[in-house]
Amino acid sequence: MGAFASLMKGMFGSKEMRILMVGLDAAGKTTVLYKLKLGEVVTTIPTIGFNVETVEYKNINFTVWDVGGQDKIRPLWRHYFQNTQAVVFVVDSNDRERIGEAKEELMRMLAEDELADAKLLVFANKQDLPNAMNAAEITDKLALHTLCNRNWYIQATCATTGDGIYEGLNWLAMTIKKKK
Amino acid sequence: MQRNKQVAMGRKKFNMDPKKGIQFLIENDLLKNTSDDIAQFLYKGEGLNKTAIGDYLGERDDFNLEVLHAFVELHEFTDLNLVQALRQFLWSFRLPGEAQKIDRMMESFAQRYCKCNPGVFQSTDTCYILSFAIIMLNTSLHNPNVKDKPAVERFISMNRGINEGGDLPEDLLRNLYDSIKNEPFKIPEDDGNDLTHTFFNPDREGWLLKLGGRVKTWKRRWFILTDNCLYYFEYTTDKEPRGIIPLENLSIKEVEDKKPNCFELFIPDNKDQVIKACKTEADGRVVEGNHTFYRISAPTTEEKDEWMNSIKAAISRDPFYEMLAARKKKVSSMKRH
Repeated sequence: MGAFASLMKGMFGSKEMRILMVGLDAAGKTTVLYKLKLGEVVTTIPTIGFNVETVEYKNINFTVWDVGGQDKIRPLWRHYFQNTQAVVFVVDSNDRERIGEAKEELMRMLAEDELADAKLLVFANKQDLPNAMNAAEITDKLALHTLCNRNWYIQATCATTGDGIYEGLNWLAMTIKKKK
Repeated sequence: MQRNKQVAMGRKKFNMDPKKGIQFLIENDLLKNTSDDIAQFLYKGEGLNKTAIGDYLGERDDFNLEVLHAFVELHEFTDLNLVQALRQFLWSFRLPGEAQKIDRMMESFAQRYCKCNPGVFQSTDTCYILSFAIIMLNTSLHNPNVKDKPAVERFISMNRGINEGGDLPEDLLRNLYDSIKNEPFKIPEDDGNDLTHTFFNPDREGWLLKLGGRVKTWKRRWFILTDNCLYYFEYTTDKEPRGIIPLENLSIKEVEDKKPNCFELFIPDNKDQVIKACKTEADGRVVEGNHTFYRISAPTTEEKDEWMNSIKAAISRDPFYEMLAARKKKVSSMKRH
């Protein structure tokens, strides 16, 4: 890359954005992750370990990690929380039984000091199911309105079809650009 | 013989949908519905896809968790260091990528490791957290999607306080780091993707001539009849078939042609419909077949009869098809009256 091109890239070029993806089992995280890859030729060598995907969108390089597990292993993640710009919280809108558990998980995550400045994007997933709670109901059940000093956004999604995922990323891209 | 066939079918079902495969094996008395028996079956892993094993073991319901525990108990980790043991463990199935599943699997693994090696760790929790950290490390160092590769110092600081509030010896962590850095966890080899299992022990196999679907030329093909499907290959040594014809809903009849000993596969009562089948193009793409009928010529009259009999048997063996045929018959006879 020439000096000029590199200067241009510095000014307008892609930003790196580290994202953690959180949510209960079977909320649809893996489907979201793979939908992000759509349209790109996936040639990465498979690796044993956590699902991690990168996607470039609107000049921002998103790296998304699937994060979770019991409290005991949370100290390990803390090192990854530093420099994390956003948390994507995926919730199964159809699972009324576990919505309370989902809220607790979200609140535990947001209580981490290292994530104090992280934006929050909630994917109200599985909207295709007939019994799904809508975004407003999910907002209410997760008590998102009680969050102080948190930049958050909720997006209704259906990860299997990809509906809503890019709208969510769009919000993240805009928020990140505004900030800098 | 029949039993072996059913086990083979159960394995195939498992590789496509682990839950359904297990259910099939249990319903056919090929597997006992206990966590120990299922764990044994998965641990042996013969003909099973390791990703499918990982998916089954990763499920959150209580029974799958029981199977996971029983499965881990079958491993022998005595006198192995933690990374060696992990390498062995992670070779027996493909670790899923979901954090919660990895969490459960590492917790189970740690319990077994500590049972085999008492005194190595102060507590199973330490072992569990460290095992989890090793998986994170393997991801960070070797997944190309992770851009910032952690230095050993970061791995050490990440593991501060995980030993019941204290630190693990730095040497131990450095060794672990080097081991993972120099040698990533291997992706376990799959048994289940190997089609030789499918074509092992077929109902019938042999050379036949097949008339083309679009271009009406006769091609010599190696045919294999197994599991209600007809497969054809260009060469006997080919690993993958050129074409697959599921025999569901098809009929077979003798036909006259310039070629001798001909028979035809067709859809009864529907001449123009394309038969559900697929074939592989020269460039490797798999496309839908374009035959409204398959005309096949056998080298001798005897072979023709044998093939026709075997194919007939394969077709009528599907109970669903029989049910459907019976219903159709009923409907058409009702119409007539």
